[in-house]
Amino acid sequence: MSEADDDAAGLAPLVTVTTSREYLRRVWQRRDFMFALPVEELRSSHRDTVLGNVWHLGNPLITAGVYYVIFGVVLEANRGIENYPLWLMVGVFAYGLTSSTVLGGASSIAQREGLMRSFRFPRAIVPISSAIGNLITFSFQLAVLGSLALITGEGVSRRWLALPIVLVVHSALNLGGSLVVARMNDTFRDVQQLIPFLFRLLQFTSGVMFSADKILASDNALIRTVVVYNPLVPILDAYRWCFMGGSFDWGSTLRATVVAGLLLLFGFRYFRAAEHRYGRA
Amino acid sequence: MTELSMRVRDLHVDYEVFTERRASLRQRIVAGQGSGRRVIHALKGVSFDVNRGDAIGVIGSNGSGKSTLLSALAGLLPPTSGEILVSAEPKLLGVGAALLPAATGYRNIRLGCLALGMSAHELDDAIGDIVEFTELGEALERPLKTYSSGMRARLHFAISTAVRPEILLIDEALSVGDRAFRQKSRERIESLLGDAGTLLLVSHSMDEVTRLCRRGLWIEKGVLRATGPIDEVIARYTEATNATE
Repeated sequence: MSEADDDAAGLAPLVTVTTSREYLRRVWQRRDFMFALPVEELRSSHRDTVLGNVWHLGNPLITAGVYYVIFGVVLEANRGIENYPLWLMVGVFAYGLTSSTVLGGASSIAQREGLMRSFRFPRAIVPISSAIGNLITFSFQLAVLGSLALITGEGVSRRWLALPIVLVVHSALNLGGSLVVARMNDTFRDVQQLIPFLFRLLQFTSGVMFSADKILASDNALIRTVVVYNPLVPILDAYRWCFMGGSFDWGSTLRATVVAGLLLLFGFRYFRAAEHRYGRA
Repeated sequence: MTELSMRVRDLHVDYEVFTERRASLRQRIVAGQGSGRRVIHALKGVSFDVNRGDAIGVIGSNGSGKSTLLSALAGLLPPTSGEILVSAEPKLLGVGAALLPAATGYRNIRLGCLALGMSAHELDDAIGDIVEFTELGEALERPLKTYSSGMRARLHFAISTAVRPEILLIDEALSVGDRAFRQKSRERIESLLGDAGTLLLVSHSMDEVTRLCRRGLWIEKGVLRATGPIDEVIARYTEATNATE
């Protein structure tokens, strides 16, 4: 074995600190894997139930049904809302995408520990591929919402063309949140246990089952502030605008877009800062 | 003049283990930072050079740090200190972690290859070869969880050897399957290495190490005890183990 330093010509350090740009390039390089992982998992999941993948639709449909009985029939929260079944269903499906993406992000790091111990890839692929899986499911739910819009007489609209834009803003928000909790849950596994409660609370201030305006009329200043700054309120409204028309609030929608962008940026940086820790303990 | 494919200098790898699981919030608050955590000094200053085309057998008793060394070289465990210089990214042989028990053999071949870093395009070219090598035929249309351990081993091996890395790391993967398949596996590894490929093989089988490797590294308790021609290193290792028995 020679100790001369010129032998090391042509060798490069194994661990290199990269720029965000380079990191994203590596994520993109692994895109085929990033997509295949959730696709194959969806294909093979729910094989043990009779209805199989239909449950990805059945689950939120039943949830919407339960909410309809409670909020539509019992509490009459539907007063002043036209076509409440569709209004409610859009809210439940879209809110469900956020909660399942964020919760999925939290559990993804622990779930993919084995993968991270065996392969070298940018760890952001783990929460991103989990988010992709949720988006695939959501695309089927969008088809259901489209059919429901037709059934309830809303008709086909040019506004549907805006759906991809809404989906991009919504996904930025979801992925940002997912990246944040993915790192938090890696440090404290308790986070995963708390998130469902947080989302149950958030649901009431996002205008899912009843209009957020109801809360804006509340005497409690804190809860009013939560609703005013909650980016999910205008995002859900934007989906509803696509399917049901009505007025469109540019101000709050733009604000939600900025919040979503900032959260994604922060989430990405925050997640990356602990890159070397994932999948180790 | 020989070209280097890897240089390792004063490599230290420490990692923390939690005696049970990762500490929960309650443990951290109630019992304080120190409880349940233990720092393992898995490698304590290992240095060596690897020439291009070398096949190196890494030996040592259980828990000596052999697997940690391979993980560090694969870039999966960042070193605490020290330096790893490489001519290309070393790849650890193995694909098990990427496979889904509920998916079919075919689907798992796809997934495994993508996990190994292939693009969808490269996969289309490689898949025929892999299918042929597994000799599993129609069983590839069944879910992986219905496979026998031998069938599973064939599938794993066929997928993980479908890529041809410049530096290959193997952690005890060869002693699987029936006799015929073992022979076939050996030939595949040999052809994978060709004339330029570099190999680091961790194994407890001295026969296997002798057959495949020209040089040896003996690691004990995180320290490099011997390096040199494989026969000499094995001789010193066996001597030491016999002496302690």
